[in-house]
Amino acid sequence: MEKMTAPPPNMAASPLPPPDPCFVLRGAQSAVHALHFFGGAQGQVHPLLLSGSLSGLVHIWSLQTRRAVATLDGHGGQCVTWLQTLPQGRQLLSQGRDLKLCLWDLAEGRNTVVDSVPLESMGFCRSSILAGGQERWMLAMPGRGNDEVQILEMPSKTSVCTLKPEADAKPGMPMCLELWQADSSPRPLLLAGYEDGSVALWDVSERKVCSRVACHTEPVMGFDFDSQKARGVSGSAEKALAVWSLDEQQALQVCRTHELTNPGIADVKIRPDRKILATAGWDHRVRVFHWRTMKPLAVLSFHSATIHCVAFATDGLLAAGSGDQRISIWSLYPISTDSSTPLLGHTEGGEVGAHASA
Amino acid sequence: MAVFDTPEEAFGALRPVCVQLTKTQTVENVEHLQAQLQAVSDSALQELQQYILFPLRFTLKTPGPKRERLIQSVVECLTFVLSSTCVKEQVLLQELFSEISACLYSPKSQKPAAVSEELKLAVIQGLSTLMHSAYGDILLAFYEPSILPRLGFAVSLLLDLAEQEKSKQIKIAALKCLQVLLFQCDCQDHPRSLDELEQKQLGDLFASFLPGISMALARVITGDFKQGHGIIVSSLKTFYKTVSFIMADEQLERISKVQPKPAVEHRVAELMVHREAKWVKNTSDKLTILIKKIIECVSGHPHWKVRLALIELVEALLLKCSQSLVGSAGPLLKALVGLVNDESPEVQAQCSKVLRHFADQKVVVGNRAFADILSENLHSLATSLPRLMSSQDDQGKFSTLSLLLGYLKLLGPRVNFVLNSVTHLQRLSKALIQVLELDVTDIKVVEERCWNSGPLGASETAATQPRSPMQRRYFRFFTDERLFLLLQQVCQLLGFYGDVYLLIDHFMELYRESVVYRKQAAMILNELVAGAAGLEVENLHENHIKTSTEELREIVTSILEEYTSQENWYLTTCIESEEVGEELTMKQSGLQAITSGAHTCQVTSFPAFSKPSPTICSMNSNIWQICIQLEGIGRFAYALGKDFRLLLMTALYPVLEKAGDQTLLISQAATSAMMDICHTCGYYSLQHLINQNSDYLVNGISLNLRHLSLHPHTPKVLEVMLWNSDASLLPLVADVVQDVLATLDQFYDKRAASFVGVLHALLAALAQWFPDTDDLRQLQGESAGEAGSHLSQRPAASEKGLENTTTAEDMELFLLNYLKEKDVADGNVSDFDNEEEEQSDPPKVDESDTGPDVEPPLPVQIQIATDVMERCIHMLSDKNLKIRLKVLDVLNLCVVVLQSHKNQLLPLAHRAWPPLVHRLTNDDPLVVLRAFKKKLNYQTFLSSVLPWQCAVTRPGAVSAGLTYPRRQVWRLSEKPVLQRHPAKAGWLLSHPSSCQCPGWPGILPHAGFQAAAGCSAGPGPPLRETGPR
Repeated sequence: MEKMTAPPPNMAASPLPPPDPCFVLRGAQSAVHALHFFGGAQGQVHPLLLSGSLSGLVHIWSLQTRRAVATLDGHGGQCVTWLQTLPQGRQLLSQGRDLKLCLWDLAEGRNTVVDSVPLESMGFCRSSILAGGQERWMLAMPGRGNDEVQILEMPSKTSVCTLKPEADAKPGMPMCLELWQADSSPRPLLLAGYEDGSVALWDVSERKVCSRVACHTEPVMGFDFDSQKARGVSGSAEKALAVWSLDEQQALQVCRTHELTNPGIADVKIRPDRKILATAGWDHRVRVFHWRTMKPLAVLSFHSATIHCVAFATDGLLAAGSGDQRISIWSLYPISTDSSTPLLGHTEGGEVGAHASA
Repeated sequence: MAVFDTPEEAFGALRPVCVQLTKTQTVENVEHLQAQLQAVSDSALQELQQYILFPLRFTLKTPGPKRERLIQSVVECLTFVLSSTCVKEQVLLQELFSEISACLYSPKSQKPAAVSEELKLAVIQGLSTLMHSAYGDILLAFYEPSILPRLGFAVSLLLDLAEQEKSKQIKIAALKCLQVLLFQCDCQDHPRSLDELEQKQLGDLFASFLPGISMALARVITGDFKQGHGIIVSSLKTFYKTVSFIMADEQLERISKVQPKPAVEHRVAELMVHREAKWVKNTSDKLTILIKKIIECVSGHPHWKVRLALIELVEALLLKCSQSLVGSAGPLLKALVGLVNDESPEVQAQCSKVLRHFADQKVVVGNRAFADILSENLHSLATSLPRLMSSQDDQGKFSTLSLLLGYLKLLGPRVNFVLNSVTHLQRLSKALIQVLELDVTDIKVVEERCWNSGPLGASETAATQPRSPMQRRYFRFFTDERLFLLLQQVCQLLGFYGDVYLLIDHFMELYRESVVYRKQAAMILNELVAGAAGLEVENLHENHIKTSTEELREIVTSILEEYTSQENWYLTTCIESEEVGEELTMKQSGLQAITSGAHTCQVTSFPAFSKPSPTICSMNSNIWQICIQLEGIGRFAYALGKDFRLLLMTALYPVLEKAGDQTLLISQAATSAMMDICHTCGYYSLQHLINQNSDYLVNGISLNLRHLSLHPHTPKVLEVMLWNSDASLLPLVADVVQDVLATLDQFYDKRAASFVGVLHALLAALAQWFPDTDDLRQLQGESAGEAGSHLSQRPAASEKGLENTTTAEDMELFLLNYLKEKDVADGNVSDFDNEEEEQSDPPKVDESDTGPDVEPPLPVQIQIATDVMERCIHMLSDKNLKIRLKVLDVLNLCVVVLQSHKNQLLPLAHRAWPPLVHRLTNDDPLVVLRAFKKKLNYQTFLSSVLPWQCAVTRPGAVSAGLTYPRRQVWRLSEKPVLQRHPAKAGWLLSHPSSCQCPGWPGILPHAGFQAAAGCSAGPGPPLRETGPR
């Protein structure tokens, strides 16, 4: 809010008041557990936001009208934990606690389940895909065994392999996954955060762990990986963020940890332009950090319950979904090339930095 | 009368008469001849034409003085013959022409002979008839250079007559005849279609007369106003026909540089004019002077036909002589443009027709010279506009603005040439801003208040109303309503044709620059946008591209942002202390409070705030600014149509905020803006609009609640929204309600007043949205027995009480219950005890329902009511009387909502009891009254639940005793009994005398009645002895 004349009384000491959300999406009617921005890049001016709720519904929100345009019901009332769209076509993957991964066709206003994959793990682990625009793509999901990760080739659903840690490792359940491919080599790699607080790098084709590093003492709740800088950040149930990196020998090592005021990070996301990152806190707050320096930039407080997930749009918009059934949308440090901001709120981002107190 | 068909017969009959006339030339003989001629057929007459004409011409030619009467009758007779025959010989035509015109020749002076008016008229008729009777080719041959002197004589004669004569008839006849002579007659039988060469020849010939004709006609036109419009119209016609013929671009193009040697004698050749460039230039200069004079004189002529003729003149001259008369184009266009808004619809229609025609033909835009002239005119008008606006009276302003409007219409997209010049844009805007200044001295604007809270404009439905009429406003510099319309049109045209971005930027700057300009700039901005959208603008320029919707939306978005920004939207419209006081009284009006008393006593009880109070003028100005901005939002909605829906997320909230404003004007403007939005975005009613967009509103509310000090009116919006919504809103507001409560916890001291309003609206809404609890109670009541059942009616009654309606059923119920009471009171209590035992059952069922470990989640409304009640308990002891009263109302509603959820209600009621008792014992009479009602309410619920009863009432029993402030009404020891015995409670309360207090006799009987109605118990004997022990 540029037009503020006086700071609110309780913030009198800080030079700038905390930013407000651009707007808040209401109507999910249960806690929001998954968020995913969709579109916006391919010539579509106004991106959509997908949200998955505790009650098993997936809402599709138009960011132009700020209203739900459609509701997908495919998980039998069980919590939707993960949402992801495929790069080609308008297809959506949703993972639910009903042990099902649904593939939706959203093209031309359709919203029907075209395929589904049975899951065999009851855990909270979110799946991951690797799709380079070709017909075939790869899916990593928690496997049958307690500590297994299963890799499927899609859309044929043929199992490629099962990644099972060595018997003596005992990392516990996988908590979060990320499939990726280094620019230099075509071999798919998998990053997995485990229940014991460690992060492991798998070489999928050789089915072996390249490297593993203990980042936290509590289970890893979420991480994000910047493949260009070969650096990742993870959050866990404890009071710290861990930043780790990957060297040429594909060895993971912890660079630093960042102490937080309150414990519990449910999700971590790096913005597509790799400038900032946001964390979803159990303390009802979203924290924003500078990605390179890890300098705390802002604490976004709006929600009145645990924040379960955060997501960034390609144009830099940040969304946070919370147990208070609301999704807050924030515009921070807008990406300079962006020209479609007028409807999405004021360009206030440059000012939020000064008062961070994380 | 015998008719002579053949020439022979006719000759036989006419011969003697002709001979007679030749011999003795008397009037009688001429008349005799004419009488005979009546009987001759046209064909026979044609054969005998020469013969018959001879004696007549002979008479005219006879030298020596003649009597006027004779000449007149001869000319008339000639005219008659000519009207029935054709002149086939050129010589005859020439001779007759000179003979007839010579009749008015006076050798002594330049002027026509001083003869009788009849003769003059006869001669004019004669000439006119002669020219009409000539064969086409003969006539053309007649106009050869050699005729010039004779023709010249006739022309000057006619001009003299037209100018000097007194008789209107003669004047008009002379002007008509002149047209005939100059080949410009518009009658059917005159040969009209001349080829180019013929036209040129005639033009060459007539060119010699142009100076004479034009000057004389100009004198006639600019002469006496009283001479009658017919003459002026006729002169104008003759003028433009002649000028446009002689100066026609078509002809002038063909004129060779070198004058061909005329084949006529020298004397005549001298008279001839060669229309080469230099002559054209000279003549055009002189004509311009005349045209200016004419326009000056005629454009304000009171008779509309004259102004209509002026339009014809402009049209003819601009179409035919656009090059030759380029110097006159400016004044001509100005004249045309000035008539665009003529008061006569005929003139207006014709004028727009001509303008449209010009635009179609690209007369202006296609012609650089014209466009330049117009731009120049506009430039100079823009320059002088500020001065004109300040110095002219309403009429003057009207014509100046009409002119401006006309220029804009005519220039169309080329208007940008003027707008692109910074100085001119500044001048133009300065003038507009200056003239639009509002008169802000009216105190009424500030005074008028609206008091109703509750659903907005429920009676009106948006769909039926096309557009809400604008609020009447008063301007400092003019009073004429038409001027404002004109200004609106000017702005719309600017928006339509001009560079919208440039204009919007410019006026936005003015808007920001000073508070002095702000209102006017906003008015202009509103119209610019309406114009840019093409609303109410007739497009004269077909290829003009309208502003695209996308661009328009961007523009509107930015204006909206400015309008609704903190410093432009939240202005002081009333004195602060008053605001607080009024706000409270206003909100009460929904209830049965005694508002008038409260109102008068409250205004003084608030000390004036330390802030310097704003002047009436500045508040008035602020009110108008907000109104104009609101009206703008309505206009924008119209401009964008359905696209405006996208802007609702930012626009609706501020509008709704103003709809709840206490200033009547503002709330009206906001309501009508909302109506506009409904209408353009396809909502049936305001309720529909609010309901459909409650998500946007909730968003605004929840974000603003975070900065309450900046947005103190946020609770108000929530309140308005709650009043206008239904149960579907609840899931959306649930979290906001929590926010509200959290904020309330922060600001108990400062903003409790506005929050209590929200809580009241919220609980009233909940009570209304979830009435099913009543049914539940009903069932319970039935199972609990009759004694309980009459009490369970209480909530329904209390709700109805809100609306102040007592239905027949209520009365019936009351009586039935009364009879039952009486029955019980008479000692018929045998089954009463049983009932009481039954009564104790439901709570047990309740407990088993809920179960020890798994509690089903409470419905949202119950959760909310619980939370609200919690807050109310704290606020019962607020310092402010108003708030205390209000809180009691809210508490009442909480109980209504919670009645079916005893597990929540009872513990809270228990906690609420002590402060309530406190209210009853030592507070303001008003509060006591309200608290009293509240207590009743509790009793009705508590009494049906025995296990809780004691717990609730015991704290009260322990306290020293419930006493009435001034007079003890009942002892506390009675209270438990009271609660067990609803009937007795009814008895106590139904005795107005028992709570009569000398201080407020006017209030209590009323309260007593309400209490009785609420409890639906009638008077009866004390029940102490019959009550359970």
